[in-house]
Amino acid sequence: MDMSQYRSLFLSEAREYLKTINETVVALEESPDDRAGIDTLFRGAHSLKGMAASMEYGDIVEVAHAMEDLMIRVRDGGLHFEPGVADLLLEGTDLVDLLLGEVEAGLELRSAAGDLPQRLSGYPPAPPGTSGTSGTSGTSSTSGTPGAVTVDTDSRKASGVTSAAVQDQPSAALPSEAERGKDAEGSTVRVKTELLDHLINLTGELITNKHRLLNIGRELGSAPLDEAVTETSKLLRALHDEVMKVRLMPFDAICDRFQRSVRALAKKSGKELRFELEGREIGLDRGILESLIDPLNHMLRNAVDHGMEDSAERLAAEKPAKGEVKLSVARDRDRVLITVSDDGRGMDPKQMVAAAIRKGVITSEEGEQLSPRQALMLSCIPGFSTAKEVTEVSGRGVGMDAVNASIQKLGGSLAIESELGQGTRFTLTLPMNIAIIHTLVVQCGAIKGAVPVTAVLRTVELRREQLSKVGKRQVFYLDDEAVPLLSLNRILRLPLGRFPDGIVPLFVTEAKGRRVGIVVDRLLGQHELFIKPLGRPLAKLKGVAGGAILGDGEVVTLLDVADLL
Amino acid sequence: MATTVMIVDDSLFMRKMLRDLLEKEGYQVVAEASDGVEAVASYQELRPNLTTLDIVMPNKTGIEALQEIIACSPAARVVMCSAVGQESLVAAAAQAGARAFILKPFNPELVVRILKEACEG
Repeated sequence: MDMSQYRSLFLSEAREYLKTINETVVALEESPDDRAGIDTLFRGAHSLKGMAASMEYGDIVEVAHAMEDLMIRVRDGGLHFEPGVADLLLEGTDLVDLLLGEVEAGLELRSAAGDLPQRLSGYPPAPPGTSGTSGTSGTSSTSGTPGAVTVDTDSRKASGVTSAAVQDQPSAALPSEAERGKDAEGSTVRVKTELLDHLINLTGELITNKHRLLNIGRELGSAPLDEAVTETSKLLRALHDEVMKVRLMPFDAICDRFQRSVRALAKKSGKELRFELEGREIGLDRGILESLIDPLNHMLRNAVDHGMEDSAERLAAEKPAKGEVKLSVARDRDRVLITVSDDGRGMDPKQMVAAAIRKGVITSEEGEQLSPRQALMLSCIPGFSTAKEVTEVSGRGVGMDAVNASIQKLGGSLAIESELGQGTRFTLTLPMNIAIIHTLVVQCGAIKGAVPVTAVLRTVELRREQLSKVGKRQVFYLDDEAVPLLSLNRILRLPLGRFPDGIVPLFVTEAKGRRVGIVVDRLLGQHELFIKPLGRPLAKLKGVAGGAILGDGEVVTLLDVADLL
Repeated sequence: MATTVMIVDDSLFMRKMLRDLLEKEGYQVVAEASDGVEAVASYQELRPNLTTLDIVMPNKTGIEALQEIIACSPAARVVMCSAVGQESLVAAAAQAGARAFILKPFNPELVVRILKEACEG
């Protein structure tokens, strides 16, 4: 039987099992007596073994089989699901994952199972010094357990069957292409990501063209044309929504790695904590999802490493010994909110300000003006850190600038809340998809620029007399706070606006944790834009994140305000 | 008329392999189920001539599903699929009314022969 046709199905399903096993192991550490979890682990390893045996991947069979046996001993043999068991199982999934990678790359399996099967079947390890049982203790320790079969005899049996199967069917007829196509899964189809990207691209172009048609219709004053275009708009909106839905993947797809890394970090730092995940079913654009892995990992590291106190410190503060770190995802209309929170020691705005002044990032006058919330955002300034010493893993604040930058690149924003002694919460607000975004379009000189609405706190039109000066700086007062003003024309080295009617248009954004008013020539309103990446050399320009075409054919550049400032 | 078959296994990979194998042999696969609960429900609805039933499955094991199917339809032709090392389960399944057993990993020729016998017997 030609098994190569089943390889990709094998890979994707095997990875699903690995993911389930990883998650279940972590969950079982919380509640080690959960029968359902123990059963799930057994079944996962069992299925992996069966599939790998069919594909004749002996090393995977061996590891999966030893994992299965260990779980049988937990299920029926009175072995407690203790940390040592969890460690070995996770080591097992890591190894199988590695082997799957080799299978996928079309390599011969090079990573040998090593002594892991022995260690799995030999668990618990004999205390050092016990004579002669170290390497091959598996056989002796599994015997007498009902249902359990020793690895050695059994893997031999399994491979025996496999090779027999090969010999029985030396030249089994291959099913024809037509036959294979016929029985493809009826209800779902696998589609290449490229194809999805192409569909998005086409949909985006259609939306741009719709705006063109709208403009023409307006010029012609033709009611039937308007009607047709309006109808087309509705259809396009529906098409866009559907295409975007196809690109959505549940957050769940990237969850298991977080469980793993939090677990490993807690272990390394000797802290006791519970990790909670919420909203794994929420869908996000696959591109966004991929770009979220590093930032989220970093924030979780910060939480475990710096946010969380050790048990003694927690008890002294009259908190439960076990800390809690939570990663939750929620939908808020067309946005997704992701929060990373902990009930640790919290961040101290005063300390943050003091450190920032000491490092010369801000002046002491500037420091005085910062609200506590703004002070916390100082952690997102490059190179800023309040960690007394940088630990092996991460310094609090170190890397938050990178996190902030990647979130902004996705058209999202980051907010920090913290209560001293109670904990910290980072909230990411993200669009559900990237390619088509809502922007504020502004005019500066002859140039039209677009700013993602997520980066705009509000728009203001000031009368000249509302401007005032603090030191050398132009400011205006917003909620009793002096907000400095900057001219986008000046930043872009364009001639400055004259504002003949005495009205100064601007939008308020946040930079370095502070609100800033960006003055432009005109605010042209909100536009839905289909953003495309700029090719070289334009892509290298500072502060330019992409381009789009307006309905009248005019080109707009998407501005990365944070980058420009 | 082709023999109708239901394939029950929690692994899509296994179901696909078995389906390909059986269809090549002229069987008509009328249903697939991925756990014991689904298997019992689909059996009641479709009454396939033949059912292949994996033992280790979530929600309801193959043995439990077999017992329920046999309780309602004592003449049901069910062939259990099991992996090496489940000898104790095999005995339980035989007692519950399984017609035959096929071993994973599948030996295509053997599977075909066993299923044929199960249909005729």
